[in-house]
Amino acid sequence: MEHIELEAKKEIGSAKNSQELEALRIKYLGRKGRMAELLLQIKDLSNEERAQRGKQINQLKRELEELFEKKKNEIKNSESNKNEKIDVTAPGRALPFGHLHPRTLILRQVEKIFQSLGFSVVDSSEMETDYYNFQALNFPKDHPARDMQDTFYIDDELLLRTQTSPNQVRYMEKHNPPLRVIVPGKVFRRDASDATHESQFYQVEGLMVDKNISIGNFKAVILEFFKQLFGKEVKIRLRPSFFPFTEPSFEPDIQCVFCDGKGCRVCKNTGWIEMAGAGMVHPFVFKSAGYAPYEWQGFAFGFGLDRLAMMKYKIDDLRMLNFGDMRFLRQF
Amino acid sequence: MKFSASWLNEYLEKTLKPQEMVDLLTMHAFEVESLEKFGDDFILDVKILPDRAHDCFSHMGIAKELAAISGIKFVPPKADFAEDGNLQAKDFISVKITAKDLCPRYSMRVATDIKMGQSPKWMQDRLSACGLRPISNIVDITNYIMLETGQPLHAFDVDKVGEKKIIVRRAKEGEKIVTLEGKKYDLSPENLVIADAKVAIGIAGIKGGEGPEIDQNTKVVAVESANFEPTNIRRTSKAFNLRTDASMRFENGFDPNLTEIALARAIFLMSEIAGGKVAAGLVDAYSVKAKPRKILLDVDWAQKLIGVQILPQEMIDILKRLEIPAKAIKKGKFIEAIAPTSRLDLRAQEDLAEELARIFGLDKIPAQTPSGIMIAATKEESLVYEDKIKDILAGAGWSEAQNYSFVSEEDAKAFEIAGQVKIKNPISQDQKYLQPTLIVNLLKNTNENLKYFDNVRLFEIGRSFMMTGEKPVESHKIAAVISNRNFKKSAEGFFELKGLVHILFEKLGISDVWFDDEISFDLAPWLKIFHPVKRALIKSGQKEIGWIGEIKEKILNQSGIKNEIVAFELDLPALVALASEERAYQAPSKYPAIMRDLAILVGDDVKIESVLNIIETMGGSLLFDTDIFDIFETGVKKSLAFRLIFQSDERNMTDKEVNEIMEKIIKAIEEEGWQIRK
Repeated sequence: MEHIELEAKKEIGSAKNSQELEALRIKYLGRKGRMAELLLQIKDLSNEERAQRGKQINQLKRELEELFEKKKNEIKNSESNKNEKIDVTAPGRALPFGHLHPRTLILRQVEKIFQSLGFSVVDSSEMETDYYNFQALNFPKDHPARDMQDTFYIDDELLLRTQTSPNQVRYMEKHNPPLRVIVPGKVFRRDASDATHESQFYQVEGLMVDKNISIGNFKAVILEFFKQLFGKEVKIRLRPSFFPFTEPSFEPDIQCVFCDGKGCRVCKNTGWIEMAGAGMVHPFVFKSAGYAPYEWQGFAFGFGLDRLAMMKYKIDDLRMLNFGDMRFLRQF
Repeated sequence: MKFSASWLNEYLEKTLKPQEMVDLLTMHAFEVESLEKFGDDFILDVKILPDRAHDCFSHMGIAKELAAISGIKFVPPKADFAEDGNLQAKDFISVKITAKDLCPRYSMRVATDIKMGQSPKWMQDRLSACGLRPISNIVDITNYIMLETGQPLHAFDVDKVGEKKIIVRRAKEGEKIVTLEGKKYDLSPENLVIADAKVAIGIAGIKGGEGPEIDQNTKVVAVESANFEPTNIRRTSKAFNLRTDASMRFENGFDPNLTEIALARAIFLMSEIAGGKVAAGLVDAYSVKAKPRKILLDVDWAQKLIGVQILPQEMIDILKRLEIPAKAIKKGKFIEAIAPTSRLDLRAQEDLAEELARIFGLDKIPAQTPSGIMIAATKEESLVYEDKIKDILAGAGWSEAQNYSFVSEEDAKAFEIAGQVKIKNPISQDQKYLQPTLIVNLLKNTNENLKYFDNVRLFEIGRSFMMTGEKPVESHKIAAVISNRNFKKSAEGFFELKGLVHILFEKLGISDVWFDDEISFDLAPWLKIFHPVKRALIKSGQKEIGWIGEIKEKILNQSGIKNEIVAFELDLPALVALASEERAYQAPSKYPAIMRDLAILVGDDVKIESVLNIIETMGGSLLFDTDIFDIFETGVKKSLAFRLIFQSDERNMTDKEVNEIMEKIIKAIEEEGWQIRK
């Protein structure tokens, strides 16, 4: 009997389909099958032996029935699965999927970083007055400093803003310090367009004013910003510069993230990339805003969002950012 | 501006290598844009910023900067000339300034027995290195001194100056002048001129006239070294479109004391190189003397601003290196500094703070995390909603475009929108107007995209501009377009975009939105871009939020677009005002719903909305929802199939109840003259 048990279990286990299994079932459990034979064989034994043997045979019969059932289900599942088999590498259905502009993606990142540093995000207008865009920021009329920014005029007083800095004064006029804000927005310069220059681009303005704010504070904030933006510590250097609305003025450069400062095409082999204009808020600007000029201190900065987008996404033509080409947009 | 490295080294006690100069200047003063070899010399192209144009458009100025930064001693150039006692400069020429407000100082020196010729090679080389062409010894010396000191000079042939009188005055109305280059200019009292007794002989600070020009026969030279009011020079230069090395310097203004210094050097070189005899005395008209400026620096304030505890004595040392004498007062709490007349940019303590910070070294300032009260960072509501809307539209399958804010003359004509805001000084015809609507550029995007895609869905959130009365007004708008080649039925685009509007409004929590097509063209002139009937105003209650419509065929044809395009534009502030975060949760009913279908045949001109209104009004509160699941148009009639869902929150509804309500509805439908289809 043990021999039959082993053989049966082996054969059932290796049955490949329902036909084979059915054949096996008939072989072992059928009316003329092995189990039936075994039962016949014990006919001639004593009552005691017959009872005991019978019990064993029936137990084996039950075991085999269970095995058959189990195997039957297994085979049924795999067979039905085989009919339902699919090619999982075929493309998924194209569901509606819109893409946000890379500037939006980068701006959200920038806003998130500055908000985590306590800077609020403020809205602003693209059309500005000569007063807020220039005069309030210490650019007198007819002054050579205005040559730094070629302007589009609408009439004698209205223009398209050349920088987001006008909002420093606008915000300070309506709020008391201490304050920390960033102002993202489109700015306009009367420059011809080419791969690296545009007549319109996006800037992000930053302003932090409090009782004691130093150049050292600016460094800490800007270092933290770059660290979070690039996901690693970035070396910076501060170079003296000039803006009528900051004094001292400086420009933070970052060590080229593409070549780690060794020199490459992106950084024109200098190892440094210009990132922003910045400085300590000029007392003239505080006065324009109605603050006492030396009572408060602050720093302001402005950097180009487009350049960040170009660096982050390795876009080499600035003009691509000012259109709605789906072949471009769907990469983001 | 170009500077010769070897020339700069002439003023330094210790020689600096060109690369060292580049590094020192870049990190403490000005960016150096390039360093190039020029024979044995090196040329630095230094980006001098507007606030130091007055003293650093000169080799001496840059050398002084290098000296201050490095600590190397500055060596002034020699100017020890000998005056001829027998000759008095004032016998040769006189000077009078009548326009004193436009000319603070006018100085002259005279040299006789001048031998005209070429200037020495070393001078020619230096002029060439800086981009100037050598001409003659006298002219070259004037140019050389300009590059050396920053003071432009002009040499006159004294014998050609009418009555040997120089008068600095405003031009007369209609007065004319012909310059050295042979060009003629019409002058007005707005322009300052250098004149002799008879005529104008030079446009002050800009260009000399051809009258008293130096030539090979010149024997007596008078050198003009003057100081002019910068704004006036700038205006005249712009008006005549005449920009020269001289005007570039005058329009920034500079130290009036420089006239004397430059003249001394010029006349010294003239005596050495052109063999001239120097007439004694300075002919000088100097109305209001420039005075050094006293500035009080609050030490504590400066330390806090810079972020380093620079000691008062250290501050004084730095200022001394910059030729700014200073002393500590009030027990070291303040520093009293005397800003020299050569530094027009030093007016108040913040200017001194900048000098201290940059010479000390911006890189030496350690980064310090600011401390202060934690202010909760917020984001302005309009921007928060802008982000939300972008996500909603992108989630529905629309991609974000960001376009130029300008439209061209052609676009303005094609779109027939009146009241466009014009740019006074556009850079090209393409950028003549500000966009009156975002649709103009979105259509251009669509046109381009249809070349590569069958289904174009784009949106943009941006600013548009329109004249309202006399003033231009800026608006914040959301616009979207759809164009799909695979649409089979007519107006499929319209209804898909309408679906997008509904998603947007729903996600913003605005429950009331309807589409009004009863609009007269007089009220909405900008609707000229649309198909005459397939367009509507999007409203919430009585408030206009925006509009939607199929773009007029004429416009599509003009742009060569071969597919139907539908667009909408909404006003962002109007949308935000209605948006709310409020949502009241309503538990779904425990009781089963009973559904009935209703098919109605109406005339073609009947609006689905009116049929829905009747059904919902008659249905009452027990009519939970009405869905239209089929619309079939025969051209004359419209067959509408509705599924009505009846449900109560409080009890099981019975078929009898529902039947009663259905009868009411059917009666009202039939009263309208519409037919129920069985």
